[in-house]
Amino acid sequence: MKLKAKLKGDIVNAKVMMKHDMTTYNQAKKRGTKANFITYVTASVNGKIVYEVSTSQFLSKNPILKFKFKAAKGEKLVMTWKDLLGNTKTSKTKIK
Amino acid sequence: MERRKFLSLGALAAVAAVPSTLSAIDYRKEKPDTWKAHKVEPAIEKLYGKVKLIEEGVKVKTPDVAANGGAIPIDITSKIAAKSVALLQDANPESTVAVWTVPENGIVDYSLKIKMQGSGTVTAIVEGLDGKYYVARKTLQVALGGCEG
Repeated sequence: MKLKAKLKGDIVNAKVMMKHDMTTYNQAKKRGTKANFITYVTASVNGKIVYEVSTSQFLSKNPILKFKFKAAKGEKLVMTWKDLLGNTKTSKTKIK
Repeated sequence: MERRKFLSLGALAAVAAVPSTLSAIDYRKEKPDTWKAHKVEPAIEKLYGKVKLIEEGVKVKTPDVAANGGAIPIDITSKIAAKSVALLQDANPESTVAVWTVPENGIVDYSLKIKMQGSGTVTAIVEGLDGKYYVARKTLQVALGGCEG
């Protein structure tokens, strides 16, 4: 997971690229594999949630999310995703 | 200076006191039927119930013609104080794409890339803290469908 967060004025612009195949049910049927995609993504600063989304199989492969929130420079942004098969991944970055 | 320090400490304590799980809603668990609906209207009904949609205050930005249906950039912005935001479309087998929970004082300015099998309409709904529902729609052409992979 590539994670960037940059402070502009008093708002942080965050961008994340999550490495994931995002296999839809149709694709899985064709390939003979199991459907698997990211279902839930959260981002938090100091334990407080600043971004939260429930997602479906229709996000692109290796989905890119952009969002904005209020935080201070130097604070840590922690991002976690969960997929259909229960895998999770967490990344951290410092707000620049 | 001391007063200032004291006040900033107080502000930090107040932030820390807010329970972090306050806004955590996994819509896939809370509203499982929404994700199985094949049409936009029933998906909205399963998510929010029978609601009146007001066509104002929400902006959806997409390209008019998407060359690659596998990654169509979508921007949703709104100045409304929101509780949640939903994104739906009518080109894929199921309609719901994503549902955001907007944290307290959160900024509704979300971008993502989605897959679409063909040309269709994307619908963005903002659930306001005032209990009203605001909607914006955008129809786009897709040159090459992106769900077959």
